[in-house]
Amino acid sequence: MTIYGSALIVFVLMALPLYGLLLTSFQPEAVIRSRDVQFLPATLYLDHFRSVLAPGHIVPIREGIWNSVVVSTLTAAVCLIVALPAAYALSRLRLPGKNLMLGAMVSVYFLPTTIFLIPMFVLFVSWGIDDTFFSLVLAYAGFILPFEVWILKTFIDRLPREVEDAARMDGCTHLQVMRHILLPLVRPGILAGFIFAFILSWTEFLTPLIFTSDIKISTVALGMFRSTIDIQVGQQAAAAVLTLLPVALLMIVFQRLITQVLMAGADR
Amino acid sequence: MQAAPDVPMPSSGGAVVIGGRPEGYMRRRELAFGLALVAPALLLVAGIFLYPAVFTLTLSVTEFDMVRLQIGAFVGFDNYARLFANPGFVDAIWRTIYFGLLIALAATVFGFLIALLLDQQFVGRTTLRVVVVLPWAVPPVVAGVLWGQMFHADVGFMNALLYRLGVIDQYQIWLGDGLTALHVIAIAEIWKAIPFMVLFFLAGLQSIPHQLFEAAAVDGATVWQRFRYVLLPLMVPIAIPLVLIQFVWAMKAFDTIFVLTRGGPAGSTTTLNYFVYQEAFQAFDLGRAAAAAYVLLLVTLFVVQIMSLVRHYLAMRRWSTA
Repeated sequence: MTIYGSALIVFVLMALPLYGLLLTSFQPEAVIRSRDVQFLPATLYLDHFRSVLAPGHIVPIREGIWNSVVVSTLTAAVCLIVALPAAYALSRLRLPGKNLMLGAMVSVYFLPTTIFLIPMFVLFVSWGIDDTFFSLVLAYAGFILPFEVWILKTFIDRLPREVEDAARMDGCTHLQVMRHILLPLVRPGILAGFIFAFILSWTEFLTPLIFTSDIKISTVALGMFRSTIDIQVGQQAAAAVLTLLPVALLMIVFQRLITQVLMAGADR
Repeated sequence: MQAAPDVPMPSSGGAVVIGGRPEGYMRRRELAFGLALVAPALLLVAGIFLYPAVFTLTLSVTEFDMVRLQIGAFVGFDNYARLFANPGFVDAIWRTIYFGLLIALAATVFGFLIALLLDQQFVGRTTLRVVVVLPWAVPPVVAGVLWGQMFHADVGFMNALLYRLGVIDQYQIWLGDGLTALHVIAIAEIWKAIPFMVLFFLAGLQSIPHQLFEAAAVDGATVWQRFRYVLLPLMVPIAIPLVLIQFVWAMKAFDTIFVLTRGGPAGSTTTLNYFVYQEAFQAFDLGRAAAAAYVLLLVTLFVVQIMSLVRHYLAMRRWSTA
């Protein structure tokens, strides 16, 4: 009984803010604005979503979602292409200073981002690539890459080596082993790597805040922020729900895989 | 962070001799191939992290020409001196340390308790786990908006709940007071940090052999004694690195502060990271911003170092009493 009691408390504490946001997004402004706060929905009111998604709305959610899909997909692809070979080499090949390389990559991941953003801003402005998708993808890819290498390496580490060794004995090159044996086996790792990079790019806010000012390339997180400046509470909630929805769905659909990745980190 | 010594693995690749080629030749080929595979990742990380880190260090001891975007005259420690002459900055250092420790410790305690719960068998466990893990995917900006609405002075859930429960006798303006505003931000950050903690503790709990508890139960240990003398000593080594990681993570908090308070009222929720942002991208004083960024880095390393010492001390004490 105590288990169910505590489960209920945890459920309420963790879910309440999300519930509050969802509720607000579906209530008319008059109900939201009332100081007599209602905890249950009175009606199902969809106008906030309709207005926020209308073309030309001051909160560019519709364009933002599209921009974020493009930027996050590109970032995830770049990360995978660069991280997969590196993860293979760090897991399987005899390289001097492997652990040092991995350690260095992982430790920079923990440094405060502002240290890197100041010079990148200066460089990007002087190269004239600020306010472009390219600047965002470049910065995101750099920030996410250490994490990506680490995820893929844990997946490769767990695969049995015997098949690869046998293939090597039969005269396969490392490249052939990678292409024909490892790649098919590591597919769940690639999926996990893609999802993580996608979610991390989607949620990034400080980088686009600094690097972009053109509303046409505003990402969804940045666009959603504009709703906090001067807009109705209901529309703000709707914009927040729309920003959250794609990543929350990814999280729910792939929760088993994501949990597995995060928990793999605890083994070391 | 320290790198473990490079231990040769017993089944390391390339040990296989192929086609009678000399071992040395194969090893050189493997080395070249391996470096080619790692190079793009290392270059990208160096380009995005290492080069800018050096650039920022240079900025912190020079004057920067914002018009021509060039590094100007060397000014020594002027930028640092100007920072420390500003009482607001010194306050921000202490505030940042408090903020980081609060988030790290609270997230660890709650994460541990929730993990203990999720380690039990009960109906609806999977659903609860999804709900608990979900905040990890919530964009920090959305977390800011979400908690902003929760603590809204007029229409927020918190005021309504606490008022109806009789905890407060009138609606509070949570974000209007510096101290409560800082804690609202901390709550948002803790809420976002809990999923990560829970998953790490769950993995830790699942690695503990259950015979230990059964043996203790057979010996007549109470639930509390089993928790205190069997479980807790096993979990502390897992918890300390988590506290460290979470502290370092909290040093990066930006989005929630930006959305909830913009560092106000009167700078009372400005952490070092936010301070750097303001100096660099609002005041456009890049030299001072760079210096502040390095102070942030040093403060982070300093606290992490102290926590590592505590960890070693605890480990030593455990060895000597074992």
